[in-house]
Formats: sequence, structure tokens, C-alpha cells
Amino acid sequence: MPPFEQDLPSALERQGVSRRDFLEFCSLMVATLALPTRYLDKVVAALSQPQKPVLVWLEFQDCAGNTESMLRSSHPPVADVVLDLLSWEYHETIMAGAGKQAEASLQRVVKEEKGKYIAIVEGAIPTADDGVYCTIAGRTALDIAREVCSNSAANIAVGACAWDGGLVRANPNPTGALGLQEAVPGVPVVNLGGCPHNVANTAAVLVHYLTFHEMPALDQYNRPLFAYGAIIHDQCERRAHYDAGRFVEEWGDEGSRKGWCLYKMGCKGPLATYNCPSVRWNDGTSWPVKAGHGCIACAAHRFWDWSSPFYKRLPKVPGFGVDVTAENIGWGVVGAVAGVTAVHAVGSIIRGNVSKLDSQKEGRSKEGSKPASPEA
Amino acid sequence: MNAAAQSAARVASPVSGENIVRVYVWEWPVRIAHWVIFLSIVVLSFTGYYLYDPFIISRGHDAFVMGTMRFIHEVTGFTFIAAFLLRLYWFFKGNRWARWRQFLLVDPEQWRGARNMLRYYLFLRRQPESRVGHNPLAGATYATIYTFIFIEVLTGLALFNHVRHSAVLGFFIGWLPSLIGIQYLREIHFLIMFILVAFFVHHIYSAWLMSIEERSGLMGSIFSGYKNLPADFLAADPASRHEREFPIVGPGWAYWRHRGKTHGQKSTAAGSRSGTSGR
Repeated sequence: MPPFEQDLPSALERQGVSRRDFLEFCSLMVATLALPTRYLDKVVAALSQPQKPVLVWLEFQDCAGNTESMLRSSHPPVADVVLDLLSWEYHETIMAGAGKQAEASLQRVVKEEKGKYIAIVEGAIPTADDGVYCTIAGRTALDIAREVCSNSAANIAVGACAWDGGLVRANPNPTGALGLQEAVPGVPVVNLGGCPHNVANTAAVLVHYLTFHEMPALDQYNRPLFAYGAIIHDQCERRAHYDAGRFVEEWGDEGSRKGWCLYKMGCKGPLATYNCPSVRWNDGTSWPVKAGHGCIACAAHRFWDWSSPFYKRLPKVPGFGVDVTAENIGWGVVGAVAGVTAVHAVGSIIRGNVSKLDSQKEGRSKEGSKPASPEA
Repeated sequence: MNAAAQSAARVASPVSGENIVRVYVWEWPVRIAHWVIFLSIVVLSFTGYYLYDPFIISRGHDAFVMGTMRFIHEVTGFTFIAAFLLRLYWFFKGNRWARWRQFLLVDPEQWRGARNMLRYYLFLRRQPESRVGHNPLAGATYATIYTFIFIEVLTGLALFNHVRHSAVLGFFIGWLPSLIGIQYLREIHFLIMFILVAFFVHHIYSAWLMSIEERSGLMGSIFSGYKNLPADFLAADPASRHEREFPIVGPGWAYWRHRGKTHGQKSTAAGSRSGTSGR
């Protein structure tokens, strides 16, 4: 990346990003952050200043999907502005340097920019067996995360893995993987769950930080409320079909062709909170439910374990076979109780008849042949 | 062993020519709560099952099937909670047969009764262990069912607040979804429905069986509140000890009071409290 001394817009212009594109980006960020439009001026002013905070991007146990998502946002403003907004000093996947050179630059940032840089973490951190399952330059991920994230000004965990361990942490989790906030407790973290993260949200968090010098309001999982404050189901364009009772029952059936609700196909929209339906993907082109596939709640907490199976309404009941659903178990319980009751009823009728016979034999009108004290 | 104690354990039968009295056992809050809970469980089970598996696929342009089902489910759910709270209140305010002690096996006498009742159900004993109110095994069963109902209420409110985002509701049950994932809350909520349905089957049967055994107008008593019982059976009722017990302090108070009574009133209590004197 060419170094620049002047302000961001003119630097961008040199790369072919016009002032119009820049303002469009700022409007997009203000809209994503759900800020009133009067903040547009403030955002433009903040981003136009020649500030360039240092950013390091750590990759641990991951598929680099969040990096891909960041780089492949095809809309020029998002990618270019976000990449130019900050000085990216360390990012294994995209940096030019390698080996000792690369690690030296990370060490330089941690020492020289202590308390000033932003750390973005991608991927889970293994903790089993002293964290040997992910090492970079001979150091464990846990060791690196502890050093880098406790000396930074802000930490952002992008993607499901960095937030809660994601796929890596899914049962049986052989490497003891954890998300950043659990692996390195005590450091301030903003979690941007999702598989992968949505670049618009990550950019918006950075813009919020550069504009207001603090992180946006967070929820109980330390996720920004602007992105994770509303249920997908409540923002879904197929919601009217849900309320009406029009459901897809099979892939490719009439309802599927007509764009009806995917609830019966296991859509987890009623579970997940995310701004997926409004921000969307590929520059706002589409998102899973619009494309005809149910939501898998990729932005929900520990979704691999807790929202699977993805094509069923309810999770598998632990301890039963793969094909046994909660409904099977429920009807099984009802059936068993009904069966026992029926057998017992027959037994009671027989007992009643036997009692009558006993009474007749003894010539009594009433039971009482037995001692009646509670100790009997 | 005196006569009163014998009839306490014996099957109460109007045919015997004993002195039958009409006893107001189930007060109106108990009956109201019982029927509201029953009716709302019927409605909640049907609508709840539809929420799990929407088996009606509508086609009209003005259809609002799922919306209606959810509305009914939520409104009925809160009605259900109201009835449940009324019943909880009556655990502490009601008469001796509605009190919380009737539902917990806190006395050795209750343990013995529950064991005898279990033996009756297993055909190991001829006579059921009858009581004026609930027999101890029935009381323990209801306590279990109330626990399931309580879990159902908690999970239901948590699921409701997942949509509603109420700060007040979140204050009370906000801890639950972060402890157990929403999907598992749904699953628990769904599975307990089947437990309640299974209990319904058992409850109808055991009430029918007991009404035949006891001949005290058991089935009618949940409508009218009255049972027909022999006078000495009523006098020997073990529950009479718990009549005016202070509710919150519970077992400690009961212990203290019980001690006081056994020391102070031993000679006079032989007739009225014979249920314990046989121990």
C-alpha cells in the first residue's frame, strides 16, 4: 500500500475512488450504524482527517473466510476505503512480507504502538494441550492473542470462530478451541459473529471508532446492537407468508417456487439476530432467505451445535438415535402412559371382581377383612 | 388403635351407614385454577403443536393462520400464568387441603401414605390410601407437574421475550437464553407439552379409579367443591395439623409447633389427632 501524508479522500481519488464514492460509503456507514443523517457530516469530517491508526489482523484456527469476505467486497468504496482507512501493518494472508520479517512487524506494532493500535482477530484459539494445535512462528495462538490483544486499544473478533469458537469449537472440539473473549478473558472485545462476518458491519464498527473514539453500543454477547439487535424473522421479506400460514413443504414445490416461508424447511430466522436481511451480501444483492434457502442462524451463539440440524425445526434430543425427533419421544411418552393406564384399568377391574367374590365368600357387604391401620 | 384411626385408613363408603358429612374441600380458587389450567393446556397444546409443525397450509390472500395461532397461544399462555399464580397464592392462603404441605412429602406419615398408595397401584395392596384432600402420592405427582408447568412458563416467557424484547421481562428471564440456547428452550418447551398430555391421560384414569374406590363424589367435587365423607374419617384427617401453619417459615415452624403440641396436648389430642398417635 503506498504511504500517503494527505487526507483520505484525495488519497482515494488518486486510486480512482471519487468524492462521490467516498460520500456514498459514508452514507452507507451512517445507515448501517442506524445513526440519524445529521451524523453524516461528522463521519465525513472524521474520515477526511489524516489519521491512520495502525491495524493488525490475526488469523488463528480458521478458513480465512472472513479475510475473503473483506477482500471480495466488489463494491469499490467499501474495500478501498476500509483498506485505506487504517494502516494495516500485519495480515498474514495479504501482507507482502513473510517469515521473520512479518513477525518483526507485528512485534514492532505491539511495542511501538502500544495502547494505540486496533487488533482484529479471525479464527478460534485452541487451548487444549497448551495450545499446540495452532502455532505461528513457533508461538501458540493463545500466547500471541494474549500479548497482542492485551496491548491494543480495541479488539474486534470477526466471524463465528473468533467470537465463540465457531466450527472449530463444535462438538467434540478436539483442540479445546475457544473464542477470543473466553480464551483471553479480561480484554475488551467487540464480537462480530456470522459465518463469515459481514464487511459492512465490520467497516461500520471501525468508522464508529474513528468518528466517536469509542465502540458502538453492545449486547450481552458484546456484539454491536446496530447489527445484532433485531431478529432476522422480524425483518424477513417472507414474513407475511409465515403469518398467513403459507409454507414451503418440499424443495421445489409450489410454495418454494412462489417464495413462501421456509419455516418448515428448518429456517432459523426466528432464532438469529442479525441485520442480514437489510445489509445483505455481495453489495446488497441478496441473502440466503431471499435466495430460497432457510437461515442457519450463522450469527447466533454457537450455531453449529445449537441451531443444527439446519433442515429441522428442533434439535436432536441428546441420547437418542439420529432419526429420533423430539416429537417421536413426546408421542412415545404419551403412548407409554396410555398403554400402562389401559393395562392397569384391566387389572383394576379384575381386582374389583376378586374383591366382590371375597366379600361374598365371607358373607360381608363391605370390605374390611383386612386390618385397616396404616401399618397394614 | 382406636376406631377413628381405623376408619381413616379404611375406604370411606356411604353404604356403611356411617355418619356422612358434606365437606367443602376444594375452594373456588382451586377449582377456577384447575379448570383454567386444564382449558388453557388444551388450547396451548393445539396451537403450540401448530407452531412446531404448521399442518394447515393456507392459500387465501387474506389468510392469517399462523398469526392467529400465535396470538391465541400467547394470550392463552398469559391466562395460564395467571391461573398458575392464583394457585401458587392459594398454596399459602387456602384451606388445609390446598396448602403446600399437601404436595410435598415432608412428614413420615406422608411418606408412608405415598408408599402404600404406590403399593396399591402396583396391585400389592387392596385398599388405596385415602385422604380428605389429595393422597400423598397424588400430592407429590402434582408437585412434579407444577414443577414442569413452572419450567414451561419460564421457557415460554423466554421464547416470548426473544420476540418481544421487553426490558421488564428480560430482567426476570434474560439469564435463561444465555444459559440454554433458544433452540433447546424450544425443545424443552415442546417436550413438556407431551408430559402434560401424558399426565392428562393418567389424571383422568386415576381420578376415575379413586372415585370408584372411595365413593365420596370425587369427580363431582372438582365442579362443586364438596366431598361426602364419614365424620370420623374427617376428624382423623392428618392434614388438620397443617391448618393454620405459617407458610413461609415452613418446616422449621412445623417442627417447633409439632414439638409443642406433643408435649402439651398429648392427653387431649388422642381422639382428634389419632392419625399420628398410631406411629
